[in-house]
Amino acid sequence: MSAPSPLAPEVSALLERERDIPAVSPWQRSRAVARARASLATPYVATTAASGAAPRTRWAAAAAAALVVSAAVGAAAYELHVRKASRPETRPEVVAPVGDVVARAPAAEPSAVAVGEMVPRPMPAVDAPMSSRAEAVRAELRLLRRARVAVARGDFAAALSPIAEHARRFKNGRLAEEREALRVKALAGLGRMEEARHAAVAFRARFPRSVLLPAVSKMPAPAP
Amino acid sequence: MSHLRLLQSPPSRVTPDEACLEAFQAEFDYIHRTLRRLGTSPSETDDLAQEVFLVLHKCWSAYDPGRPLRPYLFGIAFRIAAAHHRKRKREVPFEIIEVSATDPGPDEALQTKQARALVLAALEHIPLPRRAVLVMHDLDGVPVEDVASVLGIPRFTAYSRLRKARRELESAVRRSTKART
Repeated sequence: MSAPSPLAPEVSALLERERDIPAVSPWQRSRAVARARASLATPYVATTAASGAAPRTRWAAAAAAALVVSAAVGAAAYELHVRKASRPETRPEVVAPVGDVVARAPAAEPSAVAVGEMVPRPMPAVDAPMSSRAEAVRAELRLLRRARVAVARGDFAAALSPIAEHARRFKNGRLAEEREALRVKALAGLGRMEEARHAAVAFRARFPRSVLLPAVSKMPAPAP
Repeated sequence: MSHLRLLQSPPSRVTPDEACLEAFQAEFDYIHRTLRRLGTSPSETDDLAQEVFLVLHKCWSAYDPGRPLRPYLFGIAFRIAAAHHRKRKREVPFEIIEVSATDPGPDEALQTKQARALVLAALEHIPLPRRAVLVMHDLDGVPVEDVASVLGIPRFTAYSRLRKARRELESAVRRSTKART
């Protein structure tokens, strides 16, 4: 196995400049940490609920599940057998082209890129169905991303809609802190200063130690 | 040296959640940049960094603090970026690279900014499995053996991907430079 040839000098010089990790903005960092802290507030739901069941109940559930699965497999095998028998000729299987192992791996099988021996137990699949908690976090993230993008481009009116939807669906959600910070920004941006002040006071009362407080205090000037 | 050892072993008052959060905070710049290097757009990176934290938190008890954290984080970030790319399917390889930076100037900071933009744009032209090897080895300085271990691939495959990724990077940079002159 020969070592790869070194990079061309000009490319190597480019990589040298990229090697240092640039710092992200304090606002981005504060928001990320606030989000992460908020996501720690509630424990996992799906797995802990199952593990808390009595052993006998779990055995019964496992047996019932096994019965259902075996019945389904049997039915599928029978169906396949009947279809094959009724079809005179079958098309040859499509052979996947030889390429990168990861590229050929099915989309729903992220274990092909597992982190190896550093993680003794298998890591959770990223795009397989995760716990309801993770799904809820993703739904919250999607809503607040819309709000954040709208605020970033100065379209404060458009930001209020996802903020309201988030408040309706996730009143005390993990990202409520960020939502309320965005609300203050959006209201201030629209020139609704009185409402913005009320929202800011409520934010301070509800999240007195929030890392977003400095950003909430610096409300943007109203849009012309 | 005993006092150092005492300092190095933190008191048990720090909960695993807090330790995980501290690690995330300390390495947030690295996570953010790694996701950008793996091709996520600036608007998506914050949310994906959050997903990295969720996975890190879930696996925190399995993490061995005696081992370096960054390769571990890279493994998580790579999986998340790969899943994200599969959903988006937005990779368009082998086009002329658009660099958003302005005209070159004598300023060192500007040159670094341009170089960074050029590298990120060039990386976009390398398929993700090969790009991951190149980023880990040539940018993060992780030995190829460890790269192979983190990505769960044979060492020979890691070398092969590195070789090909370097060729792709060089030709992408040359195309870009040619297009700009």
